Amino acid sequence: MIITIDGKACECEKGEFLLQVAKRNGIDIPTLCHHDGLPGQAACRVCLVEVKDGSRNQVTASCVFPVDHEIEVSTNSRKVKEERGMVLALLRMRAPGSEVIANMCEAYGAPKIGRLKPVVDGDKCILCGLCKRACASLGNGAIETLMRGTQKYVGTPYDQPSGDCIGCGSCAEVCPTGAIEMKDEKGVRTIWGSEFRLVYCRECGKLIGTEEYMKAAGNTDDLCDECKGRQTAGMVKDFLKQR
Amino acid sequence: MTRTVLVCCGTGCLANGSKAIADKFEALIAEKKADARTECFVKRTGCNGFCENGPLVKIMPDDIIYYKVKLSDVEEIIDTTLIGGKPVERLLYKDDKGRPVTKQEENPFYAPQLKTALRNIGFIDPLKVEDYLAAGGYEGLKKALTMTQDEIIEEVKQSGLRGRGGAGFPTWRKWQTAREQNAEVKYVGCNGDEGDPGAFMDRSVLEGDPHTVLEGLAIAALAVGAEEGFLYIRDEYALAVKNVTAAIKDAEAHGFLGDNVMGSGRKIKFSVVRGGGAFVCGEETALIASVEGKVGEPKPRPPFPAIKGAFGAPTTINNVETLANLPVILRDGGKKFASVGTEGSKGTKVFALVGKVKRTGLVEIPMGVTLRHLIYDIGGGIQGDRPFKAVQTGGPSGGCIPENMLDLPVDFDTLKAKGAMMGSGGMIVMDDRSCMVEVARYYIEFLAEESCGKCTPCREGLRQMLGILTDICEGRGKKGDIELLESIGEMMQDACLCALGKTAANPILTTIKYFRDEYEAHISGHRCPAGVCTALTSFKVEADKCKGCTMCAKACPVGAVSGEVKKPHKIDPAKCIACGSCREACRFGAIATEGRKGK
Amino acid sequence: MADKILKEIIDRYPRERRYALAVMQDMQRHYSYIPREGLELLAGHVGCKVAELYSMATFYKALSLKPRGKHIIKLCNGTACHIRGSVNLINGINRELGIAPGETTEDGEFTLELVNCLGSCALAPVMVVDETYYGKMTLEKLPSILGEYRKEAK
Repeated sequence: MIITIDGKACECEKGEFLLQVAKRNGIDIPTLCHHDGLPGQAACRVCLVEVKDGSRNQVTASCVFPVDHEIEVSTNSRKVKEERGMVLALLRMRAPGSEVIANMCEAYGAPKIGRLKPVVDGDKCILCGLCKRACASLGNGAIETLMRGTQKYVGTPYDQPSGDCIGCGSCAEVCPTGAIEMKDEKGVRTIWGSEFRLVYCRECGKLIGTEEYMKAAGNTDDLCDECKGRQTAGMVKDFLKQR
Repeated sequence: MTRTVLVCCGTGCLANGSKAIADKFEALIAEKKADARTECFVKRTGCNGFCENGPLVKIMPDDIIYYKVKLSDVEEIIDTTLIGGKPVERLLYKDDKGRPVTKQEENPFYAPQLKTALRNIGFIDPLKVEDYLAAGGYEGLKKALTMTQDEIIEEVKQSGLRGRGGAGFPTWRKWQTAREQNAEVKYVGCNGDEGDPGAFMDRSVLEGDPHTVLEGLAIAALAVGAEEGFLYIRDEYALAVKNVTAAIKDAEAHGFLGDNVMGSGRKIKFSVVRGGGAFVCGEETALIASVEGKVGEPKPRPPFPAIKGAFGAPTTINNVETLANLPVILRDGGKKFASVGTEGSKGTKVFALVGKVKRTGLVEIPMGVTLRHLIYDIGGGIQGDRPFKAVQTGGPSGGCIPENMLDLPVDFDTLKAKGAMMGSGGMIVMDDRSCMVEVARYYIEFLAEESCGKCTPCREGLRQMLGILTDICEGRGKKGDIELLESIGEMMQDACLCALGKTAANPILTTIKYFRDEYEAHISGHRCPAGVCTALTSFKVEADKCKGCTMCAKACPVGAVSGEVKKPHKIDPAKCIACGSCREACRFGAIATEGRKGK
Repeated sequence: MADKILKEIIDRYPRERRYALAVMQDMQRHYSYIPREGLELLAGHVGCKVAELYSMATFYKALSLKPRGKHIIKLCNGTACHIRGSVNLINGINRELGIAPGETTEDGEFTLELVNCLGSCALAPVMVVDETYYGKMTLEKLPSILGEYRKEAK
């Protein structure tokens, strides 16, 4: 079916999410918590658009809005600009230390409201929750969102180093604002208060992860994916030669 | 003849010692057995809704109801009423003109009520399925078992029943969606996570008539084609959890639930899930997450729970009061139910009338009666005949309605049009000593704590609004604050993930709309007109009105009031904490408030 | 010893995630908080990570991760109680016992909890100590009620 976004006709399938359709058609909608590998987070609410459906107008988050029938979408109406600006202004207070947020505020004209108060000076976390989902699916379920309401934060149980953490760094990787501190130094990775010995590929010397991660992934030969592939290919070649 | 003593054992009356009273009745009646002409039974019933005047004791068939009964009254009631057949006058309710009232339906609090959801409460022993059956219980389910799924849904459509939990979504439509799903497993759920501060109708129904909820849920199960259901009940409602758990067991033993429902070969199984203490779990998708044993965070919809709900299966969740109406709809027909109420809102609604009204409690009235009728006729007006200021409807998601709207009919659509909502039916009445800014601040604080914290606008919006409102209440309000609150609030209505967030700003937006002058008094006038915000209030004794009765001095918790008997008293501003206890204690209106500067 | 009781509580329920909240509520009831070993054992029982259960334990208000006092004072701050002066009672308890909501007295006798609505609005303001309800509370009544529990302690 065809829907219109900012006056442009866009082809899409029933059930596809608006954000996806816009992206494919080269239409810019800002977002922070959307990740193709971990979709449906719907937490940051920066991806607001205005949907015109017959006589009904609604401003809504595009990342979880499935296209059901023909609609008219605006990513830049006055209402979208105002409300998105307010969401961004709130995020600036939430994460005053984040350059990503500051730039986004600039780019999308978020108002500077002196009356709002920063939550924690220098904080970068916007509590989008991508890290905990990455940890649950790629890592080992070591971190979670804790508490609720305005007290919510991301952490480990009892705010102590977690025995479940394997130092894979997926959380830091996926974080849109670089809020998770991860340091690799002298063969050791420090993250979430724990230290992990780093493992390098014995062929090419590339960093491939932490010891705990290798164990969890069942990688025992200390080779990176490329070198492993090369080695396997070599073995096959040898085998064929012998035949 | 036979006489039955009905002792109210709802949470309110229990708190006032009704268990000991019921025990004493039983013991003394057994001991006395004196009069062979009357045989007496004691029955422990659910909440009669007039908790403020508890413990309540009713004698049937004489239809005499006693209020504020004490242990020491029991013997007299036995002698005078049970044996003698006469009322004990001093324990009767006195109406507005001071006349004693014998019958329950003559009491001005009960007289205008029309009970459907609460029909059995106060008359039956909630733990006895026989009592429920004698009151026509399980007739609706029996009838539903002879109907097709579509016939049941059609009957409910005819009734016009809309969800009593908050938004007022048509019950039949929710069922229809779930019914259309082709799924092996479906669930029905009862939302008993009554979290609105100031509402307790669900508690009362779950405690006082658990079988009607089970019957309603069983009818829902038949309509959507589910065999399994859950009742999600706040863990704080210990008695409700206990009674519902017992009722499920009883209903299974009697064949109303279980593997072969009333001999039909149909299977319906229910279980109780205790809520963990989170207001947001009243939101369907959060409730479902909680039932699955997870953190109660709402999910974006679509998909709607009726399509993909608990454990991925189609699930319909109905509120306790909604379910309590269903047995009647099936038994007596949807048309009869629809004969009560207004065009868009059919049937009756239970309200928790609380706050500064003379008679507080649970009230069931037809949809469409006016707020004035509710507050002045049933509630008896404002305590101490003070001026009415506002009524807050719908809890934290609702709004404050001012005096010039008292003649509005109470139904789903009218309240919504005014920026408030029916919600679950909390009606909190406020007088001139309630500060509307502080009320808004109270709700926002509540929500800031109760929000799940997942989406930005709700979590951060509430945080910033709470900061601004606290500033205003503590004398740090700034010009432009009102407009800023409005624009954050309006953004939240669109941008939040779930209904909690989308409606969270209602208390602010309605108080600004209807009581803007009060906000301005705080910000520019540096005073709290209601005398509630301590930083903006100081109290003083008006010497010409003071009779020197010393009540204020006695009530003051910090000893700031001094004075001789029969001479005007004085408040020491250095000691005064501005709690207002003196003003509440004064019977002569001699305590005045003024602003406080330089803080 | 504690392990045995914890296991017994956990074993009342099938090994499914959906019962995690119920198990934690039972632990809470028995210990007045959820012991760390309890979370760890439960994670093994239902097959999830400790972090997920810890997240729940911090999310649901009925659950506590810290031991609480011998007497639990629940002060209702529902709307009806609020407009009838529950805030004054918070301050009053603070003056009497020196604790704010969520805190426990140094001697471990009292914990003050602010609760959202006990559904007893007609008796507002309401305070519940352990299982006993005190309706229509006033600052005047406070010292003698708390005094009773204090006496009991001695």
